Amino acid sequence: MDKNELYGQLKNILIDQFELDEASISPDANLYDELELDSIDAVDLLVQLKNVTGKKISPDDFKDVRTINDVINALTAL
Amino acid sequence: MKHLFFVYRFIGTSLFWFFFGVIGLIYGFLLLPLVYLVVRRPERRQVIARNMIRGAFIMFVWVARNMRLITCDVRGMQHWDPDQSQLLLANHLTLIDVVILLSLFPQVDCVVKAAVTRNPVLRVSAGTANYISNHAPDELLDSCVARLEGGSSLLLFPQGTRAIRGEPLRFRLGAAEIALRARATIVPIAIDCEPQMLAKNVPWYRIPPSQPQFRITLLPPVAAESLVPEGTDPRRARHELNAALESLIGGELD
Repeated sequence: MDKNELYGQLKNILIDQFELDEASISPDANLYDELELDSIDAVDLLVQLKNVTGKKISPDDFKDVRTINDVINALTAL
Repeated sequence: MKHLFFVYRFIGTSLFWFFFGVIGLIYGFLLLPLVYLVVRRPERRQVIARNMIRGAFIMFVWVARNMRLITCDVRGMQHWDPDQSQLLLANHLTLIDVVILLSLFPQVDCVVKAAVTRNPVLRVSAGTANYISNHAPDELLDSCVARLEGGSSLLLFPQGTRAIRGEPLRFRLGAAEIALRARATIVPIAIDCEPQMLAKNVPWYRIPPSQPQFRITLLPPVAAESLVPEGTDPRRARHELNAALESLIGGELD
C-alpha cells in the first residue's frame, strides 16, 4: 500500500469509527489537539489500522506520533 | 525521646526491608516456582499462588504495624463483596499501598508492569498467580474487561504511577474505559498516608520524619454507568466517568 492508499484508509477509519468530520482531516492535522482523540482512541486506532493494513505500530513508536502524516510515516517505516 | 524513636524507626525499617527482600527471594526462587511445577491445573495454581502472596502481604503489614513502623486504619470493608465481581479503584501514593490492599482482598486480580514480567524470576511468580501484564495497551484493556466479565474482582490504580500527596488526582482514561466496557461495579478506595513514605524517586532509607499513618477508606459500591448521564456517547462517557471518579476519591482525601 502506498502513502495515498494509507491516507485514504486512515481517513475512512477516522470518519467511520471515530465520527470525525471529513473537512477536519488533513495530513497536518494533529490527532490530539485538533481531532481531539484521547489515549483510548489512540489504542483503538492502532488496532483498526492493524486490521486494515496488517501492520502494527508499536505503542512505543506511537507515542511520538502527533499528526496524520506521522501515522502514515510510521506505517510505511514498518 | 522523639529522636530515639526516629533512630529506632530507621533501624526497624532497614530490618523490615531486609525481611521483605528475603521473603521475596524465597517466594520468587523457591515457593512460587514449586507451585508452578507441582500444581498441574492453571486455575488451581492461580488460587494457591494468590493465597500465598496474600499470606506474605498480611504478614508484612502485621510486622510493620507491630514494629510500629506504620499505623494502618482501614474503613468501609463492608463494601467489599468477595462473592461479586468488583472493580477496586484506588489512588496510588506509596509502594506499600499495593501490599496493604492485596492483603485485604483475597484472590483479586491485578496488573503488573511489563518490566516485572520481563524479569525471569518475577515472570514465573506473576505468571503462576496469573496477574495481568501491561505490555500492550490494547490487550491490557481487553484482558481487564475479560477478567471482570469472568467474575473476578480487579484492583487498578488509575493514576498509573505513584503521585504526590496533596496534589489533585489525575486518573488515566483506561480504568474508566474498562469499567464502562465491563459494566463494572466500582468500589472507589481513597488512600492517604501522612507523611508520605516510599514515594516515587524517594529511596527506602530516607524514612519520613514521623511514623507514616495510613488511612484506607472503601467507598460504597457504585455502578459505572450510573456515574454517567444516560445516552452519553462512549467516547464522552469515559471522560465523564473519569472526572466523577477523580472527585469521588479526591473528595475523600481533602
